[in-house]
Amino acid sequence: MANHSQLGFQDASSPIMEELIQFHDHALMVALAICSLVLYLLTLMLTEKLSSSTVDAQEIELVWTILPAMVLITLALPSLRILYMMDEINEPDLTLKAIGHQWYWTYEYTDFKDLTFDSYMIPTADLPLGHFRLLEVDHRVIVPTSSTVRVIVTADDVLHSWAVPSLGVKTDAIPGRLNQTSFFATRPGVYYGQCSEICGANHSFMPIVVESAPLPNFEHWSSSLSS
Amino acid sequence: MAGEGDSEPGKSFKLLGFLDVQNVPCARESVLYGSLGSLVMGLGHFLATSRVRRSCDVAVGGFICTMLGYWFYCRYNLAQQRIRQRMLKEGMKNRVLFEGSYLDPEKEQTGSERGDS
Repeated sequence: MANHSQLGFQDASSPIMEELIQFHDHALMVALAICSLVLYLLTLMLTEKLSSSTVDAQEIELVWTILPAMVLITLALPSLRILYMMDEINEPDLTLKAIGHQWYWTYEYTDFKDLTFDSYMIPTADLPLGHFRLLEVDHRVIVPTSSTVRVIVTADDVLHSWAVPSLGVKTDAIPGRLNQTSFFATRPGVYYGQCSEICGANHSFMPIVVESAPLPNFEHWSSSLSS
Repeated sequence: MAGEGDSEPGKSFKLLGFLDVQNVPCARESVLYGSLGSLVMGLGHFLATSRVRRSCDVAVGGFICTMLGYWFYCRYNLAQQRIRQRMLKEGMKNRVLFEGSYLDPEKEQTGSERGDS
């Protein structure tokens, strides 16, 4: 989860999120170079006397055409690489359906047995000591670690969005439409997210909690729930 | 990392307010090498030509080029290292998984050596 006053990304828990953080760092370095240049030029302009004697500026025109093109290529190539990486065809080990309601989520595991449960936020008054306010839920989504999980997201009433920042997942939940995303949790842990599309009075109070557990633990949990 | 530097965990220094040079890999070295390159090129140009304005331009250009040049070089090496780490991790997992079975690559090598002798 995010710490208080955190501005940066949460630690990555999936390969896609690792790549996104790497690209973000790359983009910021390019932005630093551009800002340095702009600051220097600004300082020069403020300290120089203005002149209207320039009639021909072929060199500068060439520079400020080619340089931005190179900057765009530097940013576009890694960006497109990650974009296509996110859309790679993979064979998921598990399929999970996430259905948004006002104001809770319903999860369905229907690969092997019909396993369905609702996930409501735990109100602050009922929160055990040491748990996270406005983030904990009564029933978490349990997924096996190091397994590709496909999530099919939809909604029952209004627009919602299923988002877990540390897994690099954000998918809109649209009534009457099935949106598909997938993730691969590289390590066991608990990952928090929140609804990311305004959906009414309690939009801020329908969090998502994904718990990645080793496969035997996941199997034990699913069999205990289905029985 | 433990034992490295005096910075408290969680504190970061953001250049121009957005680039976290302490926690982003290669950022600190890029900025430092860029500064060094800027100093060397700017000072060298001034000593050679005695033109202040143009030397400043060369210094800024040198800073940007050196910083970005080292950044690409360092990130390329970092990407290669990460790929090697992933291959190593996958190889270790596969070795544990297939040890003793017909898919064990070491068993194939031992079998071929026996065949040659």
